[in-house]
Amino acid sequence: MFVSLNWLKDFVETPALQGNELGELLTLKTAEVDNVIDEGESLKGIVVGQIVEIVSHPNADRLKITKTSIGKETLQIVCGGQNIKEGMYVAVACLGAKVKWHGEGEPVVMEKAEIRGVESYGMICASVELGLNNPDEGPHDILDLSALKPEVGAEIKDVLKKDDIIFEFDNKSLTHRPDLWGHIGIAREISAITNSKFKPLKVDVKIPETGESIDVKVKDKTLCPRYCGLIFNNIKVEKSPDWLTRRLKATGHGIHNNIVDITNYVMMELGQPLHAFDKALIKDGIIVRPAKKNEKIKTLDSKEYNLDETMLVIADHEKPVAVAGIIGGEHSGINENTTSIILESANFNSSSVRRTSTKLGIRTDSVQRFEKGLDPLLAETAIKRAAQLILQICPEAQIAGAITDIQKFNKKPLKITLDLEKAKSKIGAEISAQEMKKILESLEFKVTEKGRKIKTFIVEVPTFRATKDILIEDDLIEEIARIYGYDNIAPILPNLPTKLPLENTERTKKHRARELFSYGLGFDEVYNYSFYGLTDIKKSLLAESHHLKLQNYLSEEQTHMVTSLAPNILKNLQENVKNFSEIKIYEIGHTYLEIGEFFPLEEKKICGAILIKGKSDKIFYEAKGCIEAFIQKFNLSHVAPAKGAKNTPYAHPAKSLTFIDHSGKSLATCFMLHPTVQKNYDLDKYSIAFFEINFTEALKLEETKNSYKHLPKFPSITFDISVAVDKNVEVATLESAIKNTEKDLINDVKLFDIYEGEKIAQDKKAVAFSVTLQALDRTLTDAEMAQTQSKIFTALENLGGEIRGKK
Amino acid sequence: MQEILKKLEKEALESLEKADTLERTKEIEVQYMGRNGHLTMILRGMKDLSDEEKRVIGPLCNSTKNTLEEAFAKKIKTFEEEALAKELSKEFFDTTIPGSARPLGHIHALSQLQEEVEKIFSQMGFTVADGPEIESEYYNFEGLNIPKDHPARDMQDTFFIQEKNDEKHGRMVLRTQTSPVQIRMMEKYGAPLRLIVPGRVFRFEATDASHDSMFYQVEGLLIDKNISLAHLKGVLAEFLTRLFGKPVKVRFRPGYFPFVEPGLEVDFSCLLCEGKGCRVCKHSGWMEFMGAGMVHENVLKAGGINSKEYQGWAFGFGLTRLVMMRYGIDDIRLLTNGDLRFNKQF
Repeated sequence: MFVSLNWLKDFVETPALQGNELGELLTLKTAEVDNVIDEGESLKGIVVGQIVEIVSHPNADRLKITKTSIGKETLQIVCGGQNIKEGMYVAVACLGAKVKWHGEGEPVVMEKAEIRGVESYGMICASVELGLNNPDEGPHDILDLSALKPEVGAEIKDVLKKDDIIFEFDNKSLTHRPDLWGHIGIAREISAITNSKFKPLKVDVKIPETGESIDVKVKDKTLCPRYCGLIFNNIKVEKSPDWLTRRLKATGHGIHNNIVDITNYVMMELGQPLHAFDKALIKDGIIVRPAKKNEKIKTLDSKEYNLDETMLVIADHEKPVAVAGIIGGEHSGINENTTSIILESANFNSSSVRRTSTKLGIRTDSVQRFEKGLDPLLAETAIKRAAQLILQICPEAQIAGAITDIQKFNKKPLKITLDLEKAKSKIGAEISAQEMKKILESLEFKVTEKGRKIKTFIVEVPTFRATKDILIEDDLIEEIARIYGYDNIAPILPNLPTKLPLENTERTKKHRARELFSYGLGFDEVYNYSFYGLTDIKKSLLAESHHLKLQNYLSEEQTHMVTSLAPNILKNLQENVKNFSEIKIYEIGHTYLEIGEFFPLEEKKICGAILIKGKSDKIFYEAKGCIEAFIQKFNLSHVAPAKGAKNTPYAHPAKSLTFIDHSGKSLATCFMLHPTVQKNYDLDKYSIAFFEINFTEALKLEETKNSYKHLPKFPSITFDISVAVDKNVEVATLESAIKNTEKDLINDVKLFDIYEGEKIAQDKKAVAFSVTLQALDRTLTDAEMAQTQSKIFTALENLGGEIRGKK
Repeated sequence: MQEILKKLEKEALESLEKADTLERTKEIEVQYMGRNGHLTMILRGMKDLSDEEKRVIGPLCNSTKNTLEEAFAKKIKTFEEEALAKELSKEFFDTTIPGSARPLGHIHALSQLQEEVEKIFSQMGFTVADGPEIESEYYNFEGLNIPKDHPARDMQDTFFIQEKNDEKHGRMVLRTQTSPVQIRMMEKYGAPLRLIVPGRVFRFEATDASHDSMFYQVEGLLIDKNISLAHLKGVLAEFLTRLFGKPVKVRFRPGYFPFVEPGLEVDFSCLLCEGKGCRVCKHSGWMEFMGAGMVHENVLKAGGINSKEYQGWAFGFGLTRLVMMRYGIDDIRLLTNGDLRFNKQF
């Protein structure tokens, strides 16, 4: 909202602060001022000149050389304006002034120039070059000020009355303040924050008690607590006077005609929207009622809208003539033939106006104000103020009769008890009772002191604040705090509680998990959206069931909440293979599973992927190793591997493994990507392994207690064994066969090689282990070792193995 | 005899001094100390001396012998060290070949900053709390004193889940703020309460370089007896000063948020110009940072806390914005599009 300082001065004694400083103060104490615009600033150094003499330019047909007086001196100025005449009053940009060249681009500083061989000391300006808009001026004309008969040498900003300062408020910061949507409200604030005197509005207009009044019926007084209507006859619709249009333009309004301009003027002054109907076009009287189903209205912006029963309209006895509080109908609008008008000043329910406005998609100045919750008393003040202005601007106009005033609202003043100690304790500053009283009174609250030592105030809220804004004690505390000044509150630190804060182990472990995967295992962390589309669901072979669907979404790729982090990770891989040939990434995020209850099952997951070029399954074991590292890092107890991966349709059915807890619940899976999925994502040239960890479930597990084991006092013996077996014999089978031969002596069995190839039969593989023997109470003898070795040989041979290199 | 020894010692040391190669030094050594060397000859002659002479000359001989031995050893060592140094320095060794350390992965910029924020607040006694990202209308709006017709409830701001409706909870939404966790924590733990909630939030709004439909916020809440705005100022200034590693000032302005009263906009002093005004802060000296205020009595009530006894404040700021500010990131989408050329920079 734009607010004019000149206008404000109607309601507040000129404060000591102006311009930027006042803007800053308003920002700190009232509402955010985005911008302070000094209208005269750009016109500095531009003065009134009078052309004394004009001669032709010797070297250019379209240019003239003028002698132009600017009072104290006469300048030679070369000018191309087609409308220049001797004796004409013009705007002269003196050397050093800033002008917009042909009205375009950034302003440039005027310098002495030589134009086609003739010196020129300034510029005679067109309106656009001064940033002004003058539709009467031709494209090659300059600004003709002759009609104003200005004083030669006077500053143009004074002559054109460009002496205003405009404050642009951030509308969002006025959301809760219906009283600030007109100049009078802002003036009241300035008076409070600068200690200058507030000048209340005095409306002096005689409204006849008898005569013709408009017949008004209000069908729903909850949605329309007050409706004031007044008839004016003998109206002449014409242009508004300059002082009025200047103020409307300065505050960002278009100019229409005197009647419409007056309604806008009163709105900008008091914050109450008004509407004027052409009386001749209103059939019989006004009815305020809900719209009928499928009723239509063509509004002032020439658009047609379909209405429904939830919307309130202003109707005559035939049709709707306005959408209440939102916009007027085109049919009954003020036009050049209008001679009688019905002026409406009403109060509408804020929620209803808001709902209708949202439904119809119409935002107007009127909606902006009604949705904040206006004071019903304002309707009467505003209609009287408008009457005063109409009589002032259209002296022949006549008020036809008394104001029709239909009303039903609570007139009992709102009183709130304020506990002064509480106020101080919430603000965190020592503010005296006296000061609090002064602050509240400066904002027109009425304060009654209570208690012998003044412990409480009974505060009566002014009606213009009592609709929504000030309802409880804390609202009063806010008024005191902001006017007292948030800057005057000294920062202090609260005492630390003696009890330690609750620990969020999950959160801490999430950070530790990141360190493990990024810094320990070399993965890069990614963040993805929490949604994907149906295409992703299909591409990764997931079922659409168990997905939560968004009712409103931004794109077809973001329609479903993720039940797995894998599809978005696959997209990451797809994008990144353009730049990287090996990728290791992971994400820690939530998945959301529909489980037939109101809230879905929301779990935290870790999903990682390894991608390499070419075909190899060795990365499966890297993924498996990641899970094992995770289990080790977080000391998870009783976790065991089991073949396959349930509920993971994008996993290769054979190349997948699940880690389960003692109750059989799945905690983690690792797998090679299903070949179909790989194809769906155009990744067939690569090998891709995944791991998925259910972080939420994993952290529910008990942690293994770690305790110290004595270091062995006697040396251990290590030897290697290589055995050739059928390809389909699993390593785990061999490993346990070895271990079971001498449980007490065999301390460790490590796989170190698997060989398949030319040097061995086609259906065989050579598996090599390194076996460590250790006794706690003695040094092992060679005989003991030989004995164990031969037991191992036998065990492996029993599995069909052939010991390689056996003598 | 004494003089002969002295002379010999002097001569030997002088010629050693002049020796300029290892070979020459060794020659001199042989000349004096070798099997037929001068000193060796004298020592050999010792056996012909009388016992008395031996008593006098013996130690003298030994001392000369030690002195010379030491001198030769020292000189030889010097030559050897020089030779080694020379030889080593001649070796070609390419130190510019990149280190073969295992390449480290990268933790996302948002995670890193989030942990820093959590650490600072933990040290001030705040619990780090968590809540679901899919919320009910009740927790996301009504409980936070945002009634049905509030602008924030409009479709353009909130994602809704299909076919989810409940008498108490209303529809289901993707949380638009981390504030619902305030109510959940009040319900669970009551007062006093001191917590922050960093987390993912969603807004139904078109994506561009500075807006994303998903971003991260940090919510803060302190409920206790006699907690004031002065404490809020203190905690925020302390937090920012810690985070940025230099003194930061905090400024309050009036602001409106339905779940607080009084409501505040919080700015902090521009890090670049320290409040003097520059391009970054649009010449105001301040950076807009967050919304805050004293928790509204209706919110305390929704959380089951007696507002006569307890009071406190809440704040919420954009972690995503803070990350962008810290690293000068000009496109918010880089944080969620998984482009490793970006992610690997942190």
